[in-house]
Amino acid sequence: MASRLLRVCGTLRALRRPPCPWPGGIPSNEKQATGLERKVMQDMEKGQDPYNILQPKRYPKEDPNLVPSISSKRIVGCICEEDNSCVIWFWLHKGEPQRCPSCGAHYKMVPHHLPH
Amino acid sequence: MAHQTHAYHMVDPSPWPLTGAAAALLMTSGLAMWFHYNSMLLLTLGLLIMLLTMFQWWRDIVREGTFQGHHTPPVQKGLRYGMILFITSEVFFFIGFFWAFYHSSLAPTPELGGYWPPTGITPLNPFEVPLLNTAVLLASGVTVTWAHHGLMETNRSQTIQALTLTILLGLYFTALQTMEYYEAPFTIADSVYGSTFFVATGFHGLHVIIGSTFLIVCLLRQIKFHFTSTHHFGFEAAAWYWHFVDVVWLFLYVSIYWWGS
Repeated sequence: MASRLLRVCGTLRALRRPPCPWPGGIPSNEKQATGLERKVMQDMEKGQDPYNILQPKRYPKEDPNLVPSISSKRIVGCICEEDNSCVIWFWLHKGEPQRCPSCGAHYKMVPHHLPH
Repeated sequence: MAHQTHAYHMVDPSPWPLTGAAAALLMTSGLAMWFHYNSMLLLTLGLLIMLLTMFQWWRDIVREGTFQGHHTPPVQKGLRYGMILFITSEVFFFIGFFWAFYHSSLAPTPELGGYWPPTGITPLNPFEVPLLNTAVLLASGVTVTWAHHGLMETNRSQTIQALTLTILLGLYFTALQTMEYYEAPFTIADSVYGSTFFVATGFHGLHVIIGSTFLIVCLLRQIKFHFTSTHHFGFEAAAWYWHFVDVVWLFLYVSIYWWGS
């Protein structure tokens, strides 16, 4: 009871207190973020992504995964993210590059001949 | 010490879902007790436990996000999806009552005299208090946006002033509606007109009260420096909810107050 009353007084006092150390009176995330949020923020500023928040930039249109094949089509199994247990299976055909329906990675067939 | 390698929040065990379920049981059975056995004990107990659950659950969320830093960007994204889905469900809730209104008013039955408004009903003048209410809510939409910009531009005093103004406008709306309810020449029992009018506007009024409460909580948190200029999702959720309440009123005003008169 008493602690709740003190807390109300504290809130009211926060209104009358002159503006805090931050210009304008509202802190930035840089100043106030804590815990995992702060760690993620600091890592992002350094260009790191240890918690895999961003999509992995793999196999874009300009740099597709080159798949060798001796016939005009071959089955591809895409493990979109590390440790995924659900493998995305699809036929890759000769010609235009195709994309994994789950993660969008580009695959292009490279036709080969059987040596004889 | 084991650390997680993902950015999501695995919440600690909490008693509030259980107390919330207990409150739901007490309120539903309490309602039946009130209807049939003239006792409000279970209902009151259920309401009390529901309020306590809400206070403590949301207090814990504030602690987890603001004080412990668990609300990383992916977690915030999830919270945004959650709020949007919740508001969408509320939209459908109101769609039901608008459906009932239009069903009854587009083809008035012989019992009503074949007219809408029904014979004997004197509807409220849409250009008196209801129009003032419209202006009040529209203005509150402006002030809540002003508060948001103050927050993003690290302007503490403007944020607090604009948010306070928004809450005052919301309370003014509630006061005006209460007065209108008291002074109305028809009641909820007056044919389907009364039913549709009071159920639709009544649920809207309840949502105004809920929205005002949410905004008051945001004001207290803002005073206590919880929000930063880039991370203030609680405020954004309250603002979204408030805009939703405003839009519902606009539909109510045009459909029931204006067209329906």
